[in-house]
Amino acid sequence: MTAPDAGLHLSISNVSKRFGATTVLEDIHLGMAKGELVTLLGPSGCGKTTLLRVVAGLTHPDTGRVELAGRDITRAPPYKRNVGVVFQSYALFPHLDVAGNVGFGLKLRGLPKADIASAVHRALSLVHLERYADRPIRALSGGQQQRVALARAIAVEPSVILFDEALSALDRKLREAMQSELRHLLTQIGATAIFVTHDQEEALTMSDRVAVMYKGRIDQLADPRTLYDQPATAFALSFVGQSLSLKGKVVSSDADGSVVETSAGPLRVPRRFLRGSSVIVATRPEHVTLTAGDNTLTGTVVGATFQGSRSLVEIDAAGTRLTAEMPGRCTLPERGETVIFSWPLSETLSFSGEEHA
Amino acid sequence: MTEAMPAPPKLSDPERRTAFLLSLPAAMILLIMFILPLGLLLGVSFTGPEGFSLAAYQRLLTTPHYLSVIWNSLKLALVTTALTFLIGYPASFAIARARGGWRSLMLGCLFLPLAASVIVKAFAWTILLRSDGIINSTLMLLGIIDEPVRMIFTQTALIVGSANVFLPFMILPIFAVVAQLDPRLGEAAAMLGANPAVAFLKVTLPVTMPGIIAGVALVFSLSVSAYVVPTLLIGERYPTLAATIAKAYLLTQQPAFGAAAGVVLLSIAIAVVILSSRFGRSSGGLS
Repeated sequence: MTAPDAGLHLSISNVSKRFGATTVLEDIHLGMAKGELVTLLGPSGCGKTTLLRVVAGLTHPDTGRVELAGRDITRAPPYKRNVGVVFQSYALFPHLDVAGNVGFGLKLRGLPKADIASAVHRALSLVHLERYADRPIRALSGGQQQRVALARAIAVEPSVILFDEALSALDRKLREAMQSELRHLLTQIGATAIFVTHDQEEALTMSDRVAVMYKGRIDQLADPRTLYDQPATAFALSFVGQSLSLKGKVVSSDADGSVVETSAGPLRVPRRFLRGSSVIVATRPEHVTLTAGDNTLTGTVVGATFQGSRSLVEIDAAGTRLTAEMPGRCTLPERGETVIFSWPLSETLSFSGEEHA
Repeated sequence: MTEAMPAPPKLSDPERRTAFLLSLPAAMILLIMFILPLGLLLGVSFTGPEGFSLAAYQRLLTTPHYLSVIWNSLKLALVTTALTFLIGYPASFAIARARGGWRSLMLGCLFLPLAASVIVKAFAWTILLRSDGIINSTLMLLGIIDEPVRMIFTQTALIVGSANVFLPFMILPIFAVVAQLDPRLGEAAAMLGANPAVAFLKVTLPVTMPGIIAGVALVFSLSVSAYVVPTLLIGERYPTLAATIAKAYLLTQQPAFGAAAGVVLLSIAIAVVILSSRFGRSSGGLS
């Protein structure tokens, strides 16, 4: 057992969880500072919701330790944790009105009526619903219900707020508006929060750091920029942002890096690999230019689309489809045209092919 | 319940006429099959040898024997309702939370007995409970008892049989509500600081109240007027209002008295239904 770092607000260490024969969480470590916003990002079944439920106390880990605000809460029941949750379904109490929902936790804490009323009003004005206090829940739209769920969670001033796919039920436009508003609000009240989502855009927008989860492990824990520029695994690369990647075998290796023979041709990577090992070579679409350069390939244009600020060119390079991103105003190649294209060595990413299937 | 309904749209006159015509067949059936006989019943209950008379009601409501009969019916209904609620409430959650095949199986077990006549079920209980019945012979075979225990024609037999027959009517309305509930509600309450008991009292119970009320109203009105179950399982030892009505019509030829007993029985059932729906509204149950 490693000792949890001092000064961390929330510390998850060595947490593992199995359901029968399936390992849902494997040796998870995550430390969060007070006021930090962290997203657990991954496909369904990666364990992100289970990890959230472990923090909430709704699922107990098989091993490991969870500490919140200096207190070991690993075995504490959910109602003694002071953790707020905004559920995907909102889980609002249908028999209570808006104020009744928001004041539910305060009432249980036995606060005087006047204090409850003012706290409810404060929470509702943070989400711009102060005029809806006496509405029944069923009279609200989905977006308004989402806000009530948020107000209900923040009203009790929890040590950490957990969002379980909380924005996924909203339509795209409302979701995007809520993302920036929610981030602003959480920063304003200094909340520490964990989001669970499979939406990478939401992850990049909402969080200080993103934990990319895959098969019960945290593949990478980094700030959005690092995650995008230096993905730690092929999975993190494919899950966050667009990318083009080719599989190949290392044919030579020296102090500066390796040369990988792919189906489309040889590519240089700035990292040493064993000769003969399989490697995935990749870059981001915006680093590709239609000129010769460090890593140059030839291919046939199979499609080109103008998208306003950018254009996308789809190229078939020896059977592998790659998408390059061009500035919107550049002259686009014709379909069927043979083009050379390249990207710089400094923007070349490489992953051992054995890291993930 | 009504406040939850969206306001009916304003109808034009032709639409209103169509709506009226569409409701006519149902209204006619109710009128001919239900309202008219009830009116007749009410009329008959107020007749005596010389026209209008309150004699039937006087006899029913002042004779100690008949007061105990009314109390018997009430007691049977109250105990049956309480028992079916205690069994049916957790069962409704079990069914609603069960997955796929299990849920179908449990619902099947609940529905299938409804297809059998109540007479068949009551007779089945007499076979189980009589002194040479399955339960007694099994107990004697195992050496737990030496002589048959008297089970049939006891109040216990009556309650067991009645609860068995009416249980589905408690479970189905509660299940219908529970199946619609977000299973996260309890977790949401817990995260706000509610321990399991508080979460149950403050969230689960009020949210399921509409189903409870429907179940209670159904089981109470069915069991207060039950005829077959008490007749077969306890008989003369426990006279009920329903048995009194039957006797007045079939044996003693006192239609006015039978009608008056019918009116009293109906009034009790209606009162319970009205009271419980009132209670439902004030307890803030949702639609």
